[in-house]
Formats: sequence, C-alpha cells, structure tokens
Amino acid sequence: MSQIITLEQLKSLVDSLIKDGAKVAAPVVAENGRSFYQYLDDSSSMLLNGFNKSFNSIKEFFFPKHEVLYQFVRQENDVLLTDAVPFETSQYIFGARPCEAAALPILDPLFAWDYQDRFYQQRREKTTVISMACLESDSHCFCSAVGGSPENPNGSDVMLYDLGDGSFEVRCLTEKGKQLFNGKTNASDKTGTACSPPIKTFDIEKIQLWLKDKDHFNDPFWEEASLRCVGCGICTFVCPTCHCFDIVDEGSFKKGERVKNWDSCQSALFTLHASGHNPRSTQGQRQRQRITHKFSIYPDKFGVLLCSGCGNCSRHCSAALGVKPFLKTIEER
Amino acid sequence: MEQQLRETAKKLLTEKTVDVVIGYGRVESGQIGAIFVSNPDEVERLVWNQECRQNLVVYLTRKEVQKLGKAAIVVKGCDAKAIVVLANESQIKRDELVVIGMICNGIIEESQRTNGNPWADSNDSSNKLPIYEKCETCVEHQPKNVDIVIGDPAAANPDTLSKAERDQKGKYAKLAKLKAMTQEERFAYWKKEFSRCVKCYACRQNCPLCYCNQCVVDKNRPIRIDTSATLKGNFAWNILRAFHLAGRCVGCGACSSACPAGIDLDLLNLSLSIAAEDNFNFVSGKELGTAPLIGTFSENDREDFIR
Amino acid sequence: MSTENRADVEFEPKVVAFVCNWCTYLGADLAGTNRLEYPANIRIIRLPCTGRIDFNLIIKAFEVGADAVLISGCHPGDCHYTAGNFHARRRWILFRELLDTLGIDTKRIHFSWISAAEGAKFQKFVTEIVEKTKKLGPYSEYKEILA
Repeated sequence: MSQIITLEQLKSLVDSLIKDGAKVAAPVVAENGRSFYQYLDDSSSMLLNGFNKSFNSIKEFFFPKHEVLYQFVRQENDVLLTDAVPFETSQYIFGARPCEAAALPILDPLFAWDYQDRFYQQRREKTTVISMACLESDSHCFCSAVGGSPENPNGSDVMLYDLGDGSFEVRCLTEKGKQLFNGKTNASDKTGTACSPPIKTFDIEKIQLWLKDKDHFNDPFWEEASLRCVGCGICTFVCPTCHCFDIVDEGSFKKGERVKNWDSCQSALFTLHASGHNPRSTQGQRQRQRITHKFSIYPDKFGVLLCSGCGNCSRHCSAALGVKPFLKTIEER
Repeated sequence: MEQQLRETAKKLLTEKTVDVVIGYGRVESGQIGAIFVSNPDEVERLVWNQECRQNLVVYLTRKEVQKLGKAAIVVKGCDAKAIVVLANESQIKRDELVVIGMICNGIIEESQRTNGNPWADSNDSSNKLPIYEKCETCVEHQPKNVDIVIGDPAAANPDTLSKAERDQKGKYAKLAKLKAMTQEERFAYWKKEFSRCVKCYACRQNCPLCYCNQCVVDKNRPIRIDTSATLKGNFAWNILRAFHLAGRCVGCGACSSACPAGIDLDLLNLSLSIAAEDNFNFVSGKELGTAPLIGTFSENDREDFIR
Repeated sequence: MSTENRADVEFEPKVVAFVCNWCTYLGADLAGTNRLEYPANIRIIRLPCTGRIDFNLIIKAFEVGADAVLISGCHPGDCHYTAGNFHARRRWILFRELLDTLGIDTKRIHFSWISAAEGAKFQKFVTEIVEKTKKLGPYSEYKEILA
C-alpha cells in the first residue's frame, strides 16, 4: 500500500503553510521560460510537473547569495553593533531535485567543523525538503557516477513520485516529512518509479587517484582544457555544493552592515593578494582548484565528494565546460 | 560550408599565415564550444552549424589565448562587429588577425536551460526552429569587415530590414513592449528581473567588449558598486555594465545568453544602440577607423533636455 | 496653522547638485554674494568639469537618499577644458535613455548650463527644482530597493 496525494491537495497544503506564516519555495517559470526556485505568494505559480532544472539550486535557501551578519552604527565615540537574527520561520521547499537535496548533507559538516555557522544550521533545522523523484535525465546529469540516483533520499525529507495522473506518491523519509504529510494522504495501490539513472560516463575512483597524484598538479592538461573557460564562475553560482563566500562591509562611514556574499574560485580576484601577487593567476589553475576541491580536498577532509552530480555547471556554462566534461577528459588520459 | 572552413583553416595553418585558428568544435560533452587549432592535421575538429552560438571574439583579449600566437578567428556577422570595435579601440591589431566570416542565417535557440531534454540529437544541425531571438532582426547574415567569407553569399538572407519591420520582431519587439509601459511598470519589471541576479558577472566575462584588466566592481577601496546581490547592488551593477557599453555594444547577445538567471540584459544595451542611431546616426562596429561614439562630440548634439 | 507646524509636515526633498568648478559653482557663489536666497534643500558637490561627472555618481546620489539630482556646468563653448561639457552632453543623451528604459524617474534628474555670471539663473532654477520635487514627493520607488 502506498500513500498518494493529488496536486490539488498538495496545492492547498502549500497555501495553508503560507497562510500559517511559513516560507514556501518551489520552482516557478520566469517570463523567458526558464524555471527557478522562488518563495511563493500562493501555490498557483508552483511548477511540479516536468523535468525542471532550475538555474538556482535550493542552496539559496540555506546559504543565501547575500546575508547580513550584523549592523554597525557609529555614535560619537562609540560603535553600536547589532547582530542579525538567524532565520526563525519554518521553511518548506517543494519540488527540489534529489541531487540538489543531496547536496545538503554534503555541506553540513562544512558549516560545523571549526565554526558552528548558526545562519546555515538554523535554516537547515527550520526547513523541510520535499523532493521530486526524477522522471527523466538530460545529457548533463551524472548523479549515478558520484553515488547518487534519480531518487537519492539523501537530504530529502519527503520524496514525491509523479504518477502522471495529477497525483503523487508520497514517501516520507524523515520525522519532519511524516509530520508534514500526516493525515494528508490517501492510501492507494499505485506506486511511482523514477527514471533509470543516467549512464555513468566516468569512473570516479580512477579520477580521484589521478587527482591525488602530485605529478598531475602541474599537468599541462589543466591549462589546455581551461583555455576556453571565460572565467565567469557561473558553474560555482549554480552549483548546489559550491559554498565559497566573501565577507564585506557595506555602507557609509556612519552606518552599515557586514555581509556575507557568494564568491567564486573562478574569478581572478578570489586569490589576489594585497601585494598584487596571485597564487592562482591562470584560469587553468582556477579550474584545477575547483575540480580538486570537489573530488580530492573535500573528500579527504570530510569523507564525502563535494558534488552531487546535478550537472548544473555544464548546463549553464556558455563555453561548454563543467565537471562532467572535465572528468571525462581526465578519465580519457 | 564546414568543409570549406576546414580547408581554409588548413591552408592558413600549413602556410603559417597564422599560428592558431579559434573556431567552434564539438567538445567532450557533445556540445559546441570554442576550440583552438594549431595543428593543420586537426582542422577536422572544426565545425560549423546552427548551434555555434558563442561569440568567440571574447577570446581575442585573453592573455592565455594571445600566447598561442597569431590567430585566425571564426565569426558570424554579429560577432565580426565586435572585432571592428576592438580594433577601433586599439585593443587588437586588426592586420595581425585573420577573420573568417561565416554566412549565417541564424542560430537555433538553445534549450538546455529551459525545461525538457536538450540536444536530443546534437549531431542534427538541420533547421531546428525557433531561431535565436536576436537573429530575427539580424542584418549581418553576410559578415562585413572580414578577410575571408565562407559560404555562399547568394544563400544568405537579405540584410535589409525596414525600421517598421524590425520593431515588430525579436528583441526590438520586446523592447518596444517595455517602452510602451509606464515608468513605474518598467521599474517594477526590472526589479523583478534583477531580483534573480546572483552577481556572477557572467555578462561581463562573456562580453567581447568588456576587456578591462580590472573592472570597476572589483575595486574595493572605496567600494563603488555594492558586491551584494541585493536590488540596490544589482541595479547599480546592471546600470554600470550597460552604460559602459553605450555606443560600443554590437548586440551580439552574449550577455543575456550567458546569464544563468535569464535576464534580458541586452534590452538595456539595445535601447542605447537605438538611441545612438537615432541621435547620432551611429552604429557600433559598422566600419573600421571610426572614433568611439562617447569619445567624440558634435557641437550640434541636441540639448533640448538641458536648461 | 502656524508656519512652524507647517515646516514639520511639509516634505523637504534632498537635492544633490553636481556642478562644475568653473561656471555653475561660481554662479552659485555669485547668488550667495548677491544675497539671492535659494532653498537649503540643495547639496552642492563641486567637480572639476561636467565632463568629469561619472554617471555612477547620479546613481550613488539616489542610493544615499536623494530625491532629485541636478547636473550643471559651463555653457557650450565656455568649457575651461575646451570640450568637457560637449562630451558630457553626449553622454547624458544616452544615459537618460538608459534610465528611461530602466524605469528610473528622469523627471528627477535635471541638467543645466549656468555660467559664473548667472547667479540669478542658479537661484531661479534651484528654486524651481525644489518646488517640482516637493510636488513629486520623496523618491520612494528607488528608496524601496535600498532596504
């Protein structure tokens, strides 16, 4: 016996959550036809059918592109500091892709090793992730090659399966998920299935070995393969696991705020020293950093790959680069 | 056409006219991307089809690419105009560059970021409609100011388009729609669009004419433009980007095509291009040797808005 | 109603004026020495030349809460640097177009040529701008995006 919910019921659930003051995010379609995750005003714009690969991953709701840490006001001989309040409302993300949700447990140890990042952690605690099992994959998907699958339960609280008849099978994976759907579903004998995993195009273990070999650090491959990279860093911004940020003070002499903004290792400025020296002065070195961080440095430190195989990097790259093409080339070497 | 391109490239490389050919190729992922061919035996890697969307001119000002030596570059008519601007702004030496212009009747709309399965068959370069939005108003099917033209000029669509006709199509129609709104509606529109901006600066990195060694947004003492991707910072950045291209932008569309958030950034540039044309009869990238629009003036420029 | 109370309720706009060192600034100075009274709503920022006024400054002015902006310099032909104002004029033609496309209120951005001898024109124009801006009210549309 499975539990199912109709789209209508799901929509009224979303509306009631919003009415209760919760923040609900889901994919919506922009004017140009592309989908992206956004906080909803009501359920009418929510897009759950089809294969939505939103340009912004759900990372944005845990680690926003811009976050105020504290505010400062200068008073005569004193400076008044006001801490920003970490996220306090409950938050629900509907229609997340399993690969994006899987990025969350990958990021958790990062925000909790030397420093407990309450901004991130509080959002994690307050958020319920309702994922949609994939019914199709595209040529950029490679979740299967990095240990994921079209119905990867990691990071999701609930997995929905589109039954194709306006209803969804509900599989609650955590307490949070059970609470949300408790009493809202109907028993049925229909069960949903996900699509078959994308074909593995590379062997991740082989690639990790190649990356660990110190001789490959200065391999000319990096520069050659990165020659067509324009250094825009889209790959890092759309990546659900990329997490680098920059802390800046913004405002005037009298008052302002210290903020945390997304940053990208693909920009030349990222490693530029005040002296003018840049330890990563070429795009090849920057791409090497991104790939080794994902598949060698991070796994060494936290025991998990910093990649969930969503393919957003190559999907959005204007120069047809990204993790998948890179790893494929490494394997062929 | 593809064969003709390969033969030309081979000739240029074997005769050592150039050291490298910057062109389009089928890359690892099966997509079309930039390739840099230095070996005459590898010219078979060069491809030409309706997926050749990227403006390769962006690579001409990259140090890593300049190191490869004297270059020949494959361009479409729209991209060729960017070369003219770079030469006019003394960023490249036009006579040290071989420009291979492709006859192009429009590239297809890329669908990888919208819903659905992209490149169902990426080897199929048949006329997959719809064509790219900006191609609908193209008047550069035949590339101008290039050294070698590839393709049959007779097969090119006509490069004449009346203003009235132009304003009904593509980006021009979009802009006309925007301009027909009230000022408040326009502001609301951009507020909505810019709220998605993540400040990745891909618009800048992909623009062939954004070649500054250090962009003003990357200067932080003092901070001129907020680095935060808030509405305030996003407005400031997008105004700056658009206006630094005033009278320079050639309308290749690389900015909005790169934008992961799908913002129609080129509408801002287009409105400036139209204003340049209406006020100064100036079209950027039209001919070699013209002075930059903003670097010059006329005593007769209009001043009906000045008291 | 007493005038005191009225001053409390009436909206006092902030108007930022970017003026050139050689003409409009001296024009403003002349207005002062001639005891020509003009509204205190105007904040004058002196720059070498209108040709040196970066368009970002106009945006910056709105970012820090201006309700209107005035840009003023030498009459055409009178530029201390020969052609700075001609360059500026061409830039503004395009910049106004961009602001219009973006839906930024161009009624709040004023341009003028005011020479060192035109103290009276300065007084008159500034008073006019302040009156107009009072009618338009605070530029709340732009202020909303600052939050």
